[in-house]
Amino acid sequence: MTASSVTPGLLGRRLWNAPSFLRLRREGAVAPVSAFLVFFVVYVIINPELLTRFQLQTASNLVVPLALAALGQLIIVLVGGIDISIGAIMSFSNVVFATAMVSLPVPLALLAGIGAGLICGLFNGALVAYGKLPAIAVTLASAFIIGSISREVMDRPGGGITPEFYLATSGELLPYVPVALFWLAIVAVLLWLLLQRTALGRHIYGVGSSADSVRAAGLNARGAQLAAFALSGVIVALGGIMLAGSTITGDPRSGDPYLLSSIAAVALAGASFTGGRGSIIGTILAACTLGLVGNLLFFAGINSYWQYVIAALIVISVVGLPVLWRRIYQAVRGVRA
Amino acid sequence: MTAVRADPAAAPARSGFSGALGRVPRSVWPLAVFVLLFLVGGLIRPNLLSVDSLVGTATFAMILAIASFGQTVAVIQAGIDLSVPNTIAFAALGFLTWTAAFGPVLGFVGGILAGVIVGLANGVIVAKLGLTPIVTTIAMNGLLFGVVLLTFRNSELTVIPQFLTDITATKIDLFGVKIAAVLPLGLILMVVLQLVLSFTGWGRSLFVVGSAPHTATLAGLPVDRIRMAGYALSGALAAFAGIVIVGFYAQASATMGASYLLGSVAAVVVGGASIFGGRGSMVGTFGGALVLGQVATLVNVANLGSNIQQLIYGVIVLIVIALYGRRTAE
Repeated sequence: MTASSVTPGLLGRRLWNAPSFLRLRREGAVAPVSAFLVFFVVYVIINPELLTRFQLQTASNLVVPLALAALGQLIIVLVGGIDISIGAIMSFSNVVFATAMVSLPVPLALLAGIGAGLICGLFNGALVAYGKLPAIAVTLASAFIIGSISREVMDRPGGGITPEFYLATSGELLPYVPVALFWLAIVAVLLWLLLQRTALGRHIYGVGSSADSVRAAGLNARGAQLAAFALSGVIVALGGIMLAGSTITGDPRSGDPYLLSSIAAVALAGASFTGGRGSIIGTILAACTLGLVGNLLFFAGINSYWQYVIAALIVISVVGLPVLWRRIYQAVRGVRA
Repeated sequence: MTAVRADPAAAPARSGFSGALGRVPRSVWPLAVFVLLFLVGGLIRPNLLSVDSLVGTATFAMILAIASFGQTVAVIQAGIDLSVPNTIAFAALGFLTWTAAFGPVLGFVGGILAGVIVGLANGVIVAKLGLTPIVTTIAMNGLLFGVVLLTFRNSELTVIPQFLTDITATKIDLFGVKIAAVLPLGLILMVVLQLVLSFTGWGRSLFVVGSAPHTATLAGLPVDRIRMAGYALSGALAAFAGIVIVGFYAQASATMGASYLLGSVAAVVVGGASIFGGRGSMVGTFGGALVLGQVATLVNVANLGSNIQQLIYGVIVLIVIALYGRRTAE
């Protein structure tokens, strides 16, 4: 940062303070975005084949359900909660959709799947917002309840997902671009518009940073909380549907692994678990990083069991290093002062 | 035993019946509910009202309780330990592997030590780096899963040393009733841990750190060190649970701890602990496990299947937090 080389330094600082970059910094997303870029470059160096159509499509089919689950988790984290039932909601909408596909036309089946997620979100949200109960405890209870209901709907993998639906969600519908990424982009842009450009979105962020201030301003804090849970339910349901599409089955346990990995992705995205801070693009890229660790190791010829260790180390170091850095910086400044 | 007070704050003086109710320690409630469920079971099917049925449920509950004692410690100091499942698997597989190589004593010490190290790592990251306990322990859980798969290539071991069977699965004849050794073992552990929590300075300081960390810092308590020790104890107890489970069920695998992720939290919450910290007890957690265990027995007898059992678990957790959760918000 010293002015030894003025022009690059100035340029760097101007870039650093550019509005879009400023937002990334405020949302804590610089670390995860950089981590993804490093990861992506390493990946492409080790396995340039990633950029071929088939591999890109496989990778995005793997990552998109996780990214959607993480976005759903992010919305709950934004209002200062955490959702333990996210895996169960995902399984539930997955099996409801797969079951509906047996007898109903696709649009109605989609509505059924999304509706299933919406109901779960409303159930959690009503208890948290109007029952004034802690989110972690409510969603622990609903994880048991929703999980058991989805196993009642469908007790073993099956359902009526058609190859056409696979083509539309995870196949080669579009030229070059994997269609799963296309759907993820649409959801992400709509979510971004909703959170950043509408009053409701600002209320959701506001409730997370200071519910009392939102209430004092005469706004409906509880309504915003309920809306956040409902929105999260819908997005997680979309994740469940994408998962059903890419695996061509409905499975009552398919959502289970996403509970822990969605929280890990949101943490990696630099979101604050006390609420009010978190970035959409950061969350998506964090989900991509965590979701592709296993693939990278496979292509690098390393035992893929290492993926669990490496994913954990990525989360801890990316989230922990800035804290450590700040500590050291403050300590050094303290000594100087 | 049930008279041990779990509540560090003095109950406000209230008059009459509600005042008397308010002074009843929280850990009594799950035990009372268990007795009620036990009697209800007897009404449905009279042969459930037997000592054998009681012992059966209590044994099942004790396994869950042992797996949840560490979680109780973590929750009391306003944390949560989601690395319990894979700490259980790691300690269990480690114990069997090291027992085969170095003998049972070193195997046992190694297993517990592994738990302590895992817990300590959690504690250092939470206390010194300031990461959220949920995120830290989830990351640790994932890391351990990788370590388990990488370290123990045969992730299924079934040769159990005799001494471990002796202290867990062997039936002891007590006043003419045959009970599995794990029941008295767990009861002793519970009493010891409850005494540590209630009557040692460190035990009390866990509650202070859990309910008011800022106040604790101002009072000069070494908050970080108390936290780290709390997580270390939590890890050690999860490791002990892993060894006990391996002894009782006579098999170990990489995914053996999976059901204890939500199960341990549920037992702690039903046991009357506050999910925000500062409140909870070992006796309460055992009571919570007993309630869940009796529900499992009843569901079994009524032939409803494990799905309905999970559903009822969820409803019970919901009822408990509806009763307790709001009171803490006041």
